[in-house]
Amino acid sequence: MRTGVFFCQVDEQWNIDIDAIAKYTLNLPEVESVQNLGINPDIDLDKLSDSIKSRNLERIVVAGDLPGYFKPVFTKAMAKSGGNTKEVRLASFQEHGAKNGHTLDRAKAIVACATMGVPFSLAAVPGGNPVNHATLVIGAGIAGIQASLEIANAGKQVYLVEQSGTIGGHMAMFDKTFPTLDCAACILTPKMVDVGQHEMINLMTLSKVVSVSGKPGAYRVKIKKRARRVDEEACVACDECVSVCPIKVESEFDAGISFRRAIYIPFPQAVPNAYLIDEENCRYVTSEGEKCGNCVKKCPKDCINLDEEDQTIDLEVGNIILATGYELLDISHIDQYGYGRYPNVLTSLEFERLTNASGSTGGRIVTKTKKVNRKTKEESWIFSPEGIPPRSVAIIHCVGSRNKKYNSYCSRVCCMYSLKFAHLIKEKIPNVEVYEFYIDMRAFGKGYEEFADRIKSEGTFVIRGHSADVSMRDDQMFVRGEDILNDRLLEFEVDMVVLAVGLIPSPGTEALGRMLGINSDSDGWLSELDYNGNPTDTDKGGIYVAGMCQAPKDIPDTVAQASAVAAGVLGSLTSEKGIGNMSSLSLSEIEEKAKSVHTL
Amino acid sequence: MAIRVNPGYIEVLDKFGAEDVQMCYQCGDCSTVCAHADDIFKFPRKSMRQLQMGLEEKLETSLEPWLCYYCGQCSEQCPREADPGETMMSLRRWLISRYDITGIANQFFNSRTREILTVLLIAVLTGIYLTFYGISGGSIHVYDGEGAFLPSSFIHTFDLTVGGIMFLFLWLGALRMWYFSMVKGMSIPVPWWLYFKKLYEIPFQFITQKRYAECENNGNSKLYMPWLVHFGLASGYSIMIILIMVFVEPLQAGPEIVWPLHIFGYLATIGLLIGCIYFVRQRIVKTKHVQYKKTHSTDWMFVILLIIITVSGIVQHILHRTGYLEAANITYVIHLMAVVPWLLRMPFSKWSHLIYRPMAMYFAEIQREAVVRQQKLVDPLSITIK
Ligand SMILES: Cc1cc2nc3c(=O)[nH]c(=O)nc-3n(C[C@H](O)[C@H](O)[C@H](O)COP(=O)(O)OP(=O)(O)OC[C@H]3O[C@@H](n4cnc5c(N)ncnc54)[C@H](O)[C@@H]3O)c2cc1C
Ligand code: SF4
Ligand code: SF4
Repeated sequence: MRTGVFFCQVDEQWNIDIDAIAKYTLNLPEVESVQNLGINPDIDLDKLSDSIKSRNLERIVVAGDLPGYFKPVFTKAMAKSGGNTKEVRLASFQEHGAKNGHTLDRAKAIVACATMGVPFSLAAVPGGNPVNHATLVIGAGIAGIQASLEIANAGKQVYLVEQSGTIGGHMAMFDKTFPTLDCAACILTPKMVDVGQHEMINLMTLSKVVSVSGKPGAYRVKIKKRARRVDEEACVACDECVSVCPIKVESEFDAGISFRRAIYIPFPQAVPNAYLIDEENCRYVTSEGEKCGNCVKKCPKDCINLDEEDQTIDLEVGNIILATGYELLDISHIDQYGYGRYPNVLTSLEFERLTNASGSTGGRIVTKTKKVNRKTKEESWIFSPEGIPPRSVAIIHCVGSRNKKYNSYCSRVCCMYSLKFAHLIKEKIPNVEVYEFYIDMRAFGKGYEEFADRIKSEGTFVIRGHSADVSMRDDQMFVRGEDILNDRLLEFEVDMVVLAVGLIPSPGTEALGRMLGINSDSDGWLSELDYNGNPTDTDKGGIYVAGMCQAPKDIPDTVAQASAVAAGVLGSLTSEKGIGNMSSLSLSEIEEKAKSVHTL
Repeated sequence: MAIRVNPGYIEVLDKFGAEDVQMCYQCGDCSTVCAHADDIFKFPRKSMRQLQMGLEEKLETSLEPWLCYYCGQCSEQCPREADPGETMMSLRRWLISRYDITGIANQFFNSRTREILTVLLIAVLTGIYLTFYGISGGSIHVYDGEGAFLPSSFIHTFDLTVGGIMFLFLWLGALRMWYFSMVKGMSIPVPWWLYFKKLYEIPFQFITQKRYAECENNGNSKLYMPWLVHFGLASGYSIMIILIMVFVEPLQAGPEIVWPLHIFGYLATIGLLIGCIYFVRQRIVKTKHVQYKKTHSTDWMFVILLIIITVSGIVQHILHRTGYLEAANITYVIHLMAVVPWLLRMPFSKWSHLIYRPMAMYFAEIQREAVVRQQKLVDPLSITIK
């Protein structure tokens, strides 16, 4: 087939030697012409179709970082010149991972496959290494839990490593989940218990991976397990120790809206269901054994050992699953919303904890109450169950998301959880006014649009228009916003503002990726092998991504991806082919494979 | 009537400096932080939208661009870096070209070379004319009185003529603004007496530029620097115009200094001088206030001419009072060579805003009251409006 190859790039930053690839392309069989159109070319339809016609091209390959951008004009030109529009093929460098190190050869291989009309993923199949049957899962949010259970239920050994004191991740913090308004705990807790009891799952909390070596199918992993200082098996969670601990710090699990002691359990249903010592704050630990130790004396089970030491554990595994999740963008410097300045401006996670029945107000949605420290006369604002419910609440979408100064991307779940918040507020407080300020409503999933409609019909003012101005006058908060659809500029009195804060990868995700040889995209999310065709594998054989750590997504998508990853892992354990690195595939290997597929 | 959408129109505005309009995704952040937007004049988001849709007529009849002082809050806040502040500035330039019936403003805004050439041509013509006039009727050795190179009575007439032409064009422009905004763009009746009721707005806004001070100042400095400069310039400017148009004859006499009169001249000079220095500095440093980050080429012309005028004015004054009459006469010609193109250029450049802005505010206040009178604002949500 007479093939013409056109190179066009979108991103100027993309560092790739097009000329070298073009030279290589010219020597490929069937290739008649190669043209480099440069960066963001203005393609003239007539000229293009003329050149297709004059060269008698039967197939066109559009090659570049994002060739899909240019496909329409090539398709039109092909149609105009009377050719077969199905023969406009894309060779996408971005999609098939021609970047970072092995750029040139990979790009050549991608173009070569396209000129032969062979899907890249059919030609590039790494393999060869035998696979160790144990799997390491890093991060025990819903993604890590789901993947672990799937694999363990198939009878394979799983090591689940979680850095905090409990599994569950963010989902454990939620009260209800959109769009079904199911109780999050009812879905998650049984799975957590399952993980805790599963004989094929070796759960390691307070643990982090510190080094990884080896090759696909046989990775050697070193894990550092911090001392819990409370015996997991013996602790009965009686809560006796807490009453004597003199230390008080903000609870991470409660997103900082309540306090915990230095000996604590993140939440009552935590798995493992045992207390732990926060070594950074415990008076005994920080004074190197000089002071305190109250809890040891108090514990009826004698299970506290404040001198327990950290451990390092060495493992050999065949596959590794990354499920490290996300955190909220730090919004302390986005000051137009008054976060940190006005007490009743909350982040989404803070609100999630406020409305959760297991939270510090027992699930009552209230405004903060002022508390004056008797000794220091210092004022602070805290949530207490006796607080006054807000009369009106503003929920502001896209805080730090879709914003060129912070996250240019959409965090995907905020619209929906904001609507969920509106429902929860309306449900719990009679006669409350709720205003949702949105830019675009992203109700993208099954039943989501209906959910949005339902919230609107409940009487929430869903306002098309953002707000960038929260102010306080005479102890009253005001939100200024533009109601674009009704063409007016508004100012509301509100008692509480909830910010739908953008999401970013968990701290340390990039470093972990680097340790494993996995790239991150420009926003820090871990790169999958192929966004469309293979969103679970990575460039390295035997390493997978599941859940938020790959890209923002909601729980259904997270669970689906985690299960898909488990299927991939189990597949590698049963297939005879073994696994290998995508990056170690050579150009000639891919060429050979493509040729054999091509001739079939 | 249906509204015609013309997405291509944005290309036209691009030439006036509105480059990033297509970035805007209509969030409204800019309107919420704008100190001047309110429930009747909503901008800059709405103007951004009208631009994206190419609603030429809507834009032409809008007064919103004149209510914006380019404090830059909106651009700072904009999540898309669509630069709404600069867009409002560009819309002002565009509106000036719309108000101008001659088409000169449009040429000037779109071609820098044409503008420079025109200014140079006028300067040279003025120079030639004045030199011939001076040589034919007087002597280069005499500055004032009998046989003067440029007799003050002649200069008076000359000034009045040039000033008259300038004002004619400015008021023609203002008339067009009135027609666009109050006739073409108004869907509700405007009671005639409102025009009298709100008349005080014109001098009030012209002199104080009060709304400028309302712009939030980004926190750091207590001094509203841009406003101060603006105020200095505007008052220096007005005083100078009055002095030149009315008092040029006693002013030119000398060498004694007539303090009751000259003091005003000195004050105005100081105002203009400070303005010059500040503008140049800001345009070079370009960081502190957003409004100076992008300088449309036409702005430089203004600054350069202003500097020449101010400096040559001062030099000429000193030369005259110290008795170097020949040099004083030559500087006078140079001074006028800058003054004439500068004055004539006014109605066709950004600086016509000195007149247009107060006029627009006057019309805006009339519109506001007319709208309120029509009780257009039924407010079902009972919300406080700024
Ligand atoms: C306010 C809010 C409300 C939401 N509401 C809903 C909803 O109603 N419905 C819905 O479908 N989705 C909702 N979501 C989205 C939902 O939270 C995510 O889809 C889901 O939690 C993703 O799970 P995950 O396991 O990928 O990540 P996470 O839940 O973040 O879990 C990651 C886990 O990995 C651990 N970890 C991180 N780094 C390391 C490391 N280096 N080593 C070891 N462990 C590590 C963390 O401690 C954590 O336990 C909401 C999100 C937010 C912010
Ligand atoms: S030893 Fe540490 S954890 Fe125990 S009571 Fe004292 S401070 Fe609290
Ligand atoms: S100009 Fe910027 S701030 Fe204003 S509406 Fe558009 S995107 Fe939002």
